[in-house]
Amino acid sequence: MRIFWAYLQLRVLVWLLRMTGRLLAVAALVALLVAAAPLTLATAIGLFGAWLRGWPPARLWHAAAWALPMTAVYLAGRAVQARTWRGLALAPVHDWSTGWHDVSQGRVVAAFVLAAPLTVPAGLALAGCLWAWRIYALNTGLSGKTATAPVVFDARQWRRQARAARARITAPGTVPLADRHGRVVIGAVIRSVGHRWQPSLAIPYLAFGRHQVIVGSSGSGKTNLMIRTWAGWYAAALAAHHQHGKPRPLLVVLDCKGGPDARVKADRTRRLLHPVGAGRVAVWPDEAAVSLWALPPRDLAVTLFQMVETGTGPAAYYADVMQAVLTLAVTAPPSPPADGAAFLDRLEPGWLEAAYAADPPRLAALVSAKRHLGDISLRYRTLLDRLGPALDHGGTLADADAWYFILEGTRERSVAEAQALALTELVAHAATAPGTEPRAILLACDDYSAVSGKVPLWSLYERGRSLGIGVQVSAQSWQGLGATEDERYRIAATADGGIWLLRTPYPQPVCELAGTRRVIETATKVIGGMWGDEGSSRVQHAWTADPGIARSLDVGQAGYLHAGGCTWVQVARPRPSPLPLPPPPRQPVVVIPPPPAVAEPQTTPAVAGPAALDDVFGQPTPAEGTRA
Amino acid sequence: MTADPFTVLGLPADPGLSDEQVRAAWRSIATATHPDRADGGDPARYAAASAAYAALRTPWARSEVYADLMTQPPPAAPRAGRLPARQLCRRVLLVPARVWHGKPSHLLLRALAASLLALAAVRSGAGGPAEAGVVAGLAIWLALTMRGDLAPPPGR
Repeated sequence: MRIFWAYLQLRVLVWLLRMTGRLLAVAALVALLVAAAPLTLATAIGLFGAWLRGWPPARLWHAAAWALPMTAVYLAGRAVQARTWRGLALAPVHDWSTGWHDVSQGRVVAAFVLAAPLTVPAGLALAGCLWAWRIYALNTGLSGKTATAPVVFDARQWRRQARAARARITAPGTVPLADRHGRVVIGAVIRSVGHRWQPSLAIPYLAFGRHQVIVGSSGSGKTNLMIRTWAGWYAAALAAHHQHGKPRPLLVVLDCKGGPDARVKADRTRRLLHPVGAGRVAVWPDEAAVSLWALPPRDLAVTLFQMVETGTGPAAYYADVMQAVLTLAVTAPPSPPADGAAFLDRLEPGWLEAAYAADPPRLAALVSAKRHLGDISLRYRTLLDRLGPALDHGGTLADADAWYFILEGTRERSVAEAQALALTELVAHAATAPGTEPRAILLACDDYSAVSGKVPLWSLYERGRSLGIGVQVSAQSWQGLGATEDERYRIAATADGGIWLLRTPYPQPVCELAGTRRVIETATKVIGGMWGDEGSSRVQHAWTADPGIARSLDVGQAGYLHAGGCTWVQVARPRPSPLPLPPPPRQPVVVIPPPPAVAEPQTTPAVAGPAALDDVFGQPTPAEGTRA
Repeated sequence: MTADPFTVLGLPADPGLSDEQVRAAWRSIATATHPDRADGGDPARYAAASAAYAALRTPWARSEVYADLMTQPPPAAPRAGRLPARQLCRRVLLVPARVWHGKPSHLLLRALAASLLALAAVRSGAGGPAEAGVVAGLAIWLALTMRGDLAPPPGR
């Protein structure tokens, strides 16, 4: 019995000792926190801000760095006062003790002002370290009361990060279309994985000179993102042109779906491009036209041949005949055809015989093909009728700063495919034509899969790369990028300018391209908040771009996958600066011809006022009537 | 007579004008200046307005005229560290407009908060260096955060 009592007394004593030790430790910690009250307060505020807003530790370290000038000013002032190194070194200690004296006298503000220059940067830096440790501890299982703690923590942080990013893009100055370093600003960063954290995602405009892919389902904010990148790229490229003499930008947009939505989008794009310096924004085919016949004769012949369907097998013979006839017609002296009518005229036997009368070998070839001329002429007459006049008469791509081509890919697929073929040829010609002003060209294709029959996307990419044209392609899904899995990977894997991933139900293939990151999967026993020596840990791989996040993105959220990292971003709605560009010069360039000589006023008095002019202007609308 | 078509019609040089706006401007001038008016109108002005209307009739035409007018490059931000005096001056002159078109109320609140805190620090009696340090810190905070409340510069 005595042994039992003795054992109980020992256990109680041990418990008391342990509790006393803990209480002493807590008391010592509290005393330390109180003694360093300003530092404690700065650290606590930093930690609370990071927890509440979902900031990464880097955000706190940036803040600490920006607070250092405060410390520098303080130390400089103290150095002037102290005059000796010893005095300077002891100045903070002196201020610290003075601060406590001020507190005891009720002058709390003075105490914090004395301590702030040193404690604010130190507290923020310390908060960054503690926050980094907290994230690490939760992710590795060192902290958290439940098994699901890391998942809950991550989901909560995502919500807060997204909320902070949404708030950030409401400030007009944080998300201009382009910044002063020549970067295209996309929006506020939600989370960075494998990329250096920055508050706003800004991409060098030269990245748009390479290839980019945008994948996002309808209603995910794809249009906003695309228009923003176009306007931002144009603004940054134009600034580079003015500052560093880089080539002037030329934006070419192929809207391959068409329809009324495309007109609205074109109008919106035009309104956004004007304030960033794109004076001439042409909308094709509604307002402006380009001439297919501006292509070099050989290229024109090949393009015309590719624009019509040609079969294989026995039909290949007719295809060869057709190509030979086209080459003869287009390259006939003295010059290539100026328009469709002139081209069709050349498909008459008499015209060709007269043109090649002095060239017996070609004349002989013409005789062989003569019996097919009628069929070929009919096919091209039909094709040119279907293509419409907007490719027949008009200028060149260089006439405008930006082109918005609307192709009716969903309504008239075959026509749109032929138009897309012709337009991509014209873009290629604009990039390579000798003797013309070099331009930095961005070819943006929205829903290109609607017209990719004649020019596959991978072909467009490879041509773009060889010609130095930046190509940006969007698709509604991974499957929309290409006809086969091989083609899709070929397109996505060569997007060295980055991949934009918006909400889509099947993001895995794109996420795979972003790669994985190393994480620690541990089964080590945790004792008192630290790892013990039982169990094991090993390196595992986790998604860099989490498909779960991609599937559940809100409207306007996107992931930018580039160089093995992923930055999730809240895309800002594109808005140009409301400030107008500088006014036009005093001396106008456009000259209006002087008015013709006007005859003497009629002697017969006319009825004064607008009513008499209705036969000239038509009946006024109510609004006009009011204004007039 | 030489004038840019926008000026002739009394419109701002803006390619984003709608067809209706251009037509209404032309119509108001034409109604007042048509030669068929009892007072003989103003044939020269009527002809100039008609020519300007013809030049600005479609969005594409307005784009072209606007682009022709913009013969001078827009002001572009110079590289950091190489700020010519004229551009610096232009930047400074733009600040009021950027404030006005940005979020002036937010900026005012921010500036007010910084000012009050600076005043409290100065009046705390903590001593010169600490007060100067706190005021410098507040100034840096204001400079860093106020950029978000300003409208972007023209062309961006």
